[in-house]
Amino acid sequence: MQRGRILFVVAGVVLALALGGVWLNQGVQEALLFSFWRSDGTWEAIQQRGAWRVGLDPSFPPFEMLDASGAPIGYDVELAHALAASWGVRADIVAVGFDSLPDALKAGKIDSIVSAYPYDERLTQDFLFSTPYFDAGLRIAVHNRSTINELSDLSGTRVGVEWGGLGDMVGRRLQRDGLELTLHPFETPEEMIAALVEAHSVEAILIDNVMLRKAQAAGLPLRAVNAPLESIPYVIVMPRRAYELQRQLENSLHQFKTDGKLDELERRWFADHATEDVAP
Amino acid sequence: MVDFRKHWLLWVAFAIFLTFATGLFWMQQRAARVAIGPPQTVQTVNPKAGVHTRLTDEVEEWKIKRTFEMVREMGAPWIVEYFPWAYIESERGRYHWAHADMVVRHARQQGLRIIARLGFVPEWARPKDTTPLYLDEEHFVDFGNFAAKFVERYRGDIEHVILWNEPNLALEWGYAAPDAVKYTQLLRTVYPMIKAVAPEVQVLGGALAPTLAPPGSEFGVNDLFFLQAMYDAGARDYFDILAVHAYGWHFDPDSPPHPEVVNFRRTELLRAIMVENGDGEKPVMITEGGWNDHPRWTRAVRPGERIAYTLRAYEIAQEEWPWLEALCFWVFRFPWDQNSYQDYFTFVRTDFEPKPIYREVQQYLRAFAP
Repeated sequence: MQRGRILFVVAGVVLALALGGVWLNQGVQEALLFSFWRSDGTWEAIQQRGAWRVGLDPSFPPFEMLDASGAPIGYDVELAHALAASWGVRADIVAVGFDSLPDALKAGKIDSIVSAYPYDERLTQDFLFSTPYFDAGLRIAVHNRSTINELSDLSGTRVGVEWGGLGDMVGRRLQRDGLELTLHPFETPEEMIAALVEAHSVEAILIDNVMLRKAQAAGLPLRAVNAPLESIPYVIVMPRRAYELQRQLENSLHQFKTDGKLDELERRWFADHATEDVAP
Repeated sequence: MVDFRKHWLLWVAFAIFLTFATGLFWMQQRAARVAIGPPQTVQTVNPKAGVHTRLTDEVEEWKIKRTFEMVREMGAPWIVEYFPWAYIESERGRYHWAHADMVVRHARQQGLRIIARLGFVPEWARPKDTTPLYLDEEHFVDFGNFAAKFVERYRGDIEHVILWNEPNLALEWGYAAPDAVKYTQLLRTVYPMIKAVAPEVQVLGGALAPTLAPPGSEFGVNDLFFLQAMYDAGARDYFDILAVHAYGWHFDPDSPPHPEVVNFRRTELLRAIMVENGDGEKPVMITEGGWNDHPRWTRAVRPGERIAYTLRAYEIAQEEWPWLEALCFWVFRFPWDQNSYQDYFTFVRTDFEPKPIYREVQQYLRAFAP
């Protein structure tokens, strides 16, 4: 009798663990045809509607902005259209203020956020995130001909930063940590870049990756060295239970990384000519 | 005699529970062990300098202490801190002072002067399905009772309290229509209740949001119109100091004031209304304000401009505005990243790493200090 009870409890625990394992593992669910456990209402609605509703704040060139006719354009807009096309649907762009984007997603007004949105670990209980498609973080940039190749090479050099900005803060931190560099603050990123590539009054600059890519796209002889000193990964945000949408998104993003689509978007939207028709 | 073998599972469960409870108690005791430290004083060249500290949702005591240490080390003698009514009196007549006590104790130990913002209505004092910023007139006395308890408890430590926040915005008025007469009635009710227990405490009224909302807007009432309407409703005798919110948006602090512009010197327009209403002897305190250096927010400036404007604003407060007692910028630090433009109002990051603006303000405020 006693042995029977123990066996019963052990069998129950094993069954619970097995079910839990299946619930956690998407691949096993699909193999066992259990994927109905994770039905994705967002993905189903996108399929029925034939449209993926993408929320973005069109005020952040070159990622999202309005052209002269008031239509949204930019890196994220084109990325959204390309992703939607890869699923056989269209992307409907919905303009939402940046701070209201999570609320709009939670309220079901949009299906995803594609708006140069930084990864936010505090929101992982509420939303799903894609892998990053762009890192806007802080880079060390040097002249193409520079012999500086890593962080430690900055010792004994003059480093330009935007006064009061992230680069200034990190530069001061590097000094506190013992790296013997001299910080040269500039009022604007443009002045800082000019000091590096024209006046040669600094040997390196600390600059965010968006500004750096813009400068590179404009043909300036700049290159990034070392890993980002501060990472600001941009991700696509989805509703908490949009498992299928997330899977499809990951597949498409992976494809875009492999076939050079993301590189093409960067070339297109960080080049100067791409912003010629942008409304002020 | 208890048969151990028969109930061994219960005993094991009890042992696990006991271990868990002891562990929790130990962790709680460890967490509580933050030394208060010796009493400090603020060294500064500008006794009007201040910041909004926003520790309402900061749980860890060492972070509260560290915040005040850094404010003192920056050279700012004033802080504005929010004490939500709903947190302290979540049940009618039952008060939970632990967090407020902790904040006040550490702030005072660092030699800081506290301007306490009071508001945020508990559920029991408002109708169902209303926001914590909704307060109807039948509960004004309840708010007054809380305010009186508050000033009584912190008598000698807190000399300034702000009644409500930005009552000219629908959002801050529980999505009811902003109403200067109703707000004046709130002041008229609460002011004497505070004075009855602590007559020396200075009551700040106003704290209006600078806004150009057009007449009839559902979002808010122009702050200049609202202040005049307060005087028309008889508010003059029910506040001791006008609280002002002075944001610069993308204008420098020397941009001249104009009724159609929100900038730092809009403060002078509010002051002019006070004078016009025979209230010119009354001082002003800026309890929110400043500039933002977010890279995409349309009302932001470059980080270097933010530093220059902030320093100049502290100078204006000291050299040009004798009627101003304190200039407290929004906001020193958040307990966690907001991941929005709000993060670009701060002086230090959530991990306490000082931003360049902190160092520059410190250099200015402690220019002659040891």
